[in-house]
Amino acid sequence: MRIAVCMKAVVDPQAHIELDAEGRLRAENLSYEVNEYDLYAVEEAIRLADASEGEVTAITVGTAGAVQGLRKGLAMGAETAIHVDCDADRLDAHATAALLAAALAEGNFNLVMAGVESDDVGASQVGGLLAEALGFASTTLVVGTSRVADGKMTVRRELEGGDHAQVEIELPAVLTIQSGINEPRYPSLRGIMAAKRKELRVVTPTDLGVSDEAMAPRVETLRLAPPAARERARIIEGTASEAAAELVRILRHEEKVL
Amino acid sequence: MNRSAWIIAEHQEGQLHRGAAELATAARAVGDETVAVVCAGVGSEVAAQVAPFVDRVLLVEDEALAGYTAGGYTHAIVALANAHSPAAILLSHAPLGRDLGPILAARLATGMISDCLALEWEDGLVGTRSVYRRKLVSRERVLAAGPAIATVQRGAFLAASPADAAPVERADGALQGFSARTRLVSIDHAAPSEEDITDAKIVVAGGRGLGDAGQFPLVQELAKAIGGVMAASRPVVDQGWVPHDRQVGSSGRTVRPQLYVAVGVSGAIQHIVGMRESDVIVAINKDAQAPIFEYAHYGIVDDLFKVVPALIEALQAE
Repeated sequence: MRIAVCMKAVVDPQAHIELDAEGRLRAENLSYEVNEYDLYAVEEAIRLADASEGEVTAITVGTAGAVQGLRKGLAMGAETAIHVDCDADRLDAHATAALLAAALAEGNFNLVMAGVESDDVGASQVGGLLAEALGFASTTLVVGTSRVADGKMTVRRELEGGDHAQVEIELPAVLTIQSGINEPRYPSLRGIMAAKRKELRVVTPTDLGVSDEAMAPRVETLRLAPPAARERARIIEGTASEAAAELVRILRHEEKVL
Repeated sequence: MNRSAWIIAEHQEGQLHRGAAELATAARAVGDETVAVVCAGVGSEVAAQVAPFVDRVLLVEDEALAGYTAGGYTHAIVALANAHSPAAILLSHAPLGRDLGPILAARLATGMISDCLALEWEDGLVGTRSVYRRKLVSRERVLAAGPAIATVQRGAFLAASPADAAPVERADGALQGFSARTRLVSIDHAAPSEEDITDAKIVVAGGRGLGDAGQFPLVQELAKAIGGVMAASRPVVDQGWVPHDRQVGSSGRTVRPQLYVAVGVSGAIQHIVGMRESDVIVAINKDAQAPIFEYAHYGIVDDLFKVVPALIEALQAE
């Protein structure tokens, strides 16, 4: 089985975010890291490939900073990687999916996997858009997979309130992977060394034959702004024991909930 | 010209999801006419259930639509959208909408805005959403010519009040030519819990700030000292420290206790939607910027490993 995993470099979720005078992200202090959800997808892909003598290809759309994610994917156990060299922050979900589809179209993949969303803008659109661009079936929020039989697999999909759906899906398919499905492995030293010798192919949108027209945005960002200030909690000051005692007093005598 | 805003009615096992009434309010904000599209199995009562919230109902009834699959819904909705040209199609940012929205956007060659907190029509569909873990708010507009698509955050809009039931128009031909690539095998319900956190008057929830599994008993001790039940946020459950029936949030339980104490919980929106209606909310977190403090009534900004033992001591002092 041939499996591709989409990985994204996201702005460090812990980063302090600032805007410049034009309301754009102030880029100079930002660091990027691999989208955590994508690591669940990489782990699940490797497990499925191991069970079927398959092979995993990691792919990313991004600038040079996105390559560290691919290296991590290779170190975890992917065999090859594709870096679509393009500033992902300037693309909308449709353009990102168009590039991924062009890069994956010739690969004879049975499965394409990705994190359920990115931990930056988190639109959770690329999976479905990519499936349509490739002509694949798709499903989202996957928290369990079965082995493939007769060109189909059954996946466990997260619903709300603790419910789940068992969905049978024909391959080829795109699955977006929810956290908790597995415990992503830490790359071993051997894996990290081996990753350096694995193939990492760099392609541009032009190489892929994806025109500017095909990447034309379907959604525009009008404005980025800090959120309107909400009424914040009344912060109880003092040492830990002073604050704790004061909190208990408030809950007992003012709020009367104890 | 009439600007028609559609909502896709979500239902499970014959019951309309209450989110449909919230979507109806969102649709009212962008269209002069609101239409609910119901894809359902034969004999379903979902069309009648959604009719009091909208101006019109379009019903596609077919056994293939008895449970949600992306393929069946897409086929039917695309056929209807091509026939009626709505200005916008709105879905909940929930398992159905997150699955279906992008596929509809691709098939209709249009754009989509996800997880909207507000919607308006201004030379196109304009949505407001949170990005970068709610550190920024982004205002976005769909540029494409086809029906604009948006998913709406649960709870962002007030539920519409029911009015006179709208007429239901049948559109059974919409599924013609459909062949399924996905099939709903079954829906597994959450197992009943030994102790139901949704019934508790006091809930103490631990989050990622606990660090590792070995620290979680601290939350249990606090729950015991304060007379409440122990709960957790998603990362803690994902790690397997506590069972899923303790999870508070969109993929877990929704609780409304008299007192909710969040320990080391940062306040991801998926958690907030499950606890924000609690009467009194207390947050203990060392990060003063954590979004949980925007929802809490009282906060202590300090190391939870100092505060929680002190709190247990203070509770036991009397």
